[in-house]
Amino acid sequence: MRVSTRPLSLTMRVLLFVAITIIGCFTFVASLINSSIEHHFLQQDSGELQVITQSVESVLSQPFQSQKQLENALSIAVVGHHGVYYQVNTLEGELVYQSSHNDFTELAMRAKASQGFKKENIITWHTGSKAYRALVSELETSKQHYKIAVAIDMSFHLRFLTQFKQSLWVIMLGSAVLVLLVAWIAIHQGLNPLRGLTQKMLDIQTNKMDVRLDHNNVPVELENMVQSFNVMLDRLQSEFIRLSNFSSDIAHELRTPLTNIITQTQVGLSKSRAVVDYQELLFSNLEELERLTKMVNDMLWLAKTQNGLIKPKQQILQSHDEIASLFDYFDALAEEVGICFKTEGENLRFYCDQLHFRQLLSNLLSNAIRYTPKGASISVKSEKVSADTVCISVVNPGEKIPAEHLPYLFDRFYRPDKSRQKHSDGVGLGLAIVKALAEANDGAIKVYSDEHETCFSVYLKSAKLT
Amino acid sequence: MRLLIVEDELKTGNYLKQGLTEAGFQVSLARNGLDGHHLAMTELFDVIILDVMLPDVSGWRILQSLREAKKQTPVLFLSARDSVDDRVKGLELGADDYLIKPFAFSEVLARVRTLLRRGGTQKVEDVLKIADLEMNIPKRKVQRAGQRITLSNKEFSLLELLLRREGEVLPRSLIASQVWDMNFDSDTNVIDVAIRRLRSKVDDDFTVKLIHTVRGMGYKLEAMPNAS
Repeated sequence: MRVSTRPLSLTMRVLLFVAITIIGCFTFVASLINSSIEHHFLQQDSGELQVITQSVESVLSQPFQSQKQLENALSIAVVGHHGVYYQVNTLEGELVYQSSHNDFTELAMRAKASQGFKKENIITWHTGSKAYRALVSELETSKQHYKIAVAIDMSFHLRFLTQFKQSLWVIMLGSAVLVLLVAWIAIHQGLNPLRGLTQKMLDIQTNKMDVRLDHNNVPVELENMVQSFNVMLDRLQSEFIRLSNFSSDIAHELRTPLTNIITQTQVGLSKSRAVVDYQELLFSNLEELERLTKMVNDMLWLAKTQNGLIKPKQQILQSHDEIASLFDYFDALAEEVGICFKTEGENLRFYCDQLHFRQLLSNLLSNAIRYTPKGASISVKSEKVSADTVCISVVNPGEKIPAEHLPYLFDRFYRPDKSRQKHSDGVGLGLAIVKALAEANDGAIKVYSDEHETCFSVYLKSAKLT
Repeated sequence: MRLLIVEDELKTGNYLKQGLTEAGFQVSLARNGLDGHHLAMTELFDVIILDVMLPDVSGWRILQSLREAKKQTPVLFLSARDSVDDRVKGLELGADDYLIKPFAFSEVLARVRTLLRRGGTQKVEDVLKIADLEMNIPKRKVQRAGQRITLSNKEFSLLELLLRREGEVLPRSLIASQVWDMNFDSDTNVIDVAIRRLRSKVDDDFTVKLIHTVRGMGYKLEAMPNAS
């Protein structure tokens, strides 16, 4: 069976916390009330027990003539107390007086007796279905040694307590349910702004991407989320605009060569011409078609890198070896345009797919050759910028690239100089490919340009010496 | 040399056939997978050029049954799809080479010749000759009409490649890959410049020109007495 990994809903979490807290509080309060009532009853009972014990003791202490007289005196000793029973025994267990039919002799003889009244000596007796609170005390008079037992029926108290507990539980349960219900409504209400936001988010479509959520209009807790969401939208929107510009760029880039091909072919076919003219026409068509082919291939390649379909080989390269082989390749071209190459820095080891690195450096070098004035030199520098990063830079003297162009240099089809024509510039994908190549190999690319020179730097992962 | 082309696209098939016939091959063209499969299994060819995406029987299927029948005819795949998986699949099934559409005709020609050469026993000669040009590989010496020509390392390799492939049109990408080990398309004219410099050393002072530009295709080395 699949186990859902979704965390508990927010409502459930809050309700759970509220429920635990309420149960805790109510239990505490209930036990507090319970024990104070019990304490109160005990207090009351012990007061009564004390009074009665004292009355009985005072009767016993007085001189009396006969047993009868004593019994009379004892029977009137306690008046106005209900549910109170007392009896007097001799120390040997012989019954002297009993206020009712309840016989406590056995219990009284067993109980520990105290001299006078002591609260901690109050005990509980259970006979049959009844419960009593009782106090047994001893009294020594000049004639006799008595044991006095006073008992109060506490069935009434116990019944009251039971009933009280029952209603307490009902009240508490009711209030708990009520509190949970209110909490649930509060959460539901509290989440209202979230539902509002959800609705607003649902309304955002690709053609309405400039819609932003107002972060001043939401509860303070949601402000961060709304701001992050807006930042995400900003990013998506700029990427989206780039993509749509890109599609129209492609269409535009295709339009020019296609127009050339169609026009020259139609003109060529409009009347019969010499073989040389046809050859010229075909050759011119071929040139345009090769440009188109290159563009399509480059575009497909870029699309593949964006979808993560290019998997570079993890090769360890030596910077000077690679630079030397590329210089070798460009040597004839450089000599022809009067430019020299220089290698600077250490010979560093780094990770990169060899084919990718060569293509990357080749694009940067051909770019540099294009913008370097005659007689100047292009240098390729290898530096270790941190423990695990190397930087290979292609530096060429030349005009400054205006700062506003720098962020877009690696965009597809971006040409800082709109007037510069494409035939000398390739298809405008060279630097986009450089960036994609660097990133496919976990690297990065940066550009810097001032009045004297322009520098393209590739950052790649350094390889340890073995 | 007999070639079989299996290609359902009308124009591509026609022009491949025309081009390869004009390059001196005997070419059979099959317009669908079934015919292609039948021809490949019953007749003998030196190279088979196979389109992957055919309407009836796929190129892969044809290649598979060919290899299952223990026929080792070299196969060059043509495909409009360029994914690494496709390439790997083709090569695993026993394809010998792989070309992605759109391709240049000169590239097809060069690849077919490479496949043909791979089959036969190749003689590696130490001394290469054409007209009055002589190239001694181990001694790294080049002479023309008795005169010593000094070449840089890469110029030497370039001339050697042209000489070994005498009469063949070599596309720029093949030259870049063979001489400089640069296996990617570059939009620079590096190769043109290198050829121009080589030409100035090998051809400029002589009436018979050996290195020729084939417009739109590449370069070839050939002794053509009447060439301009």
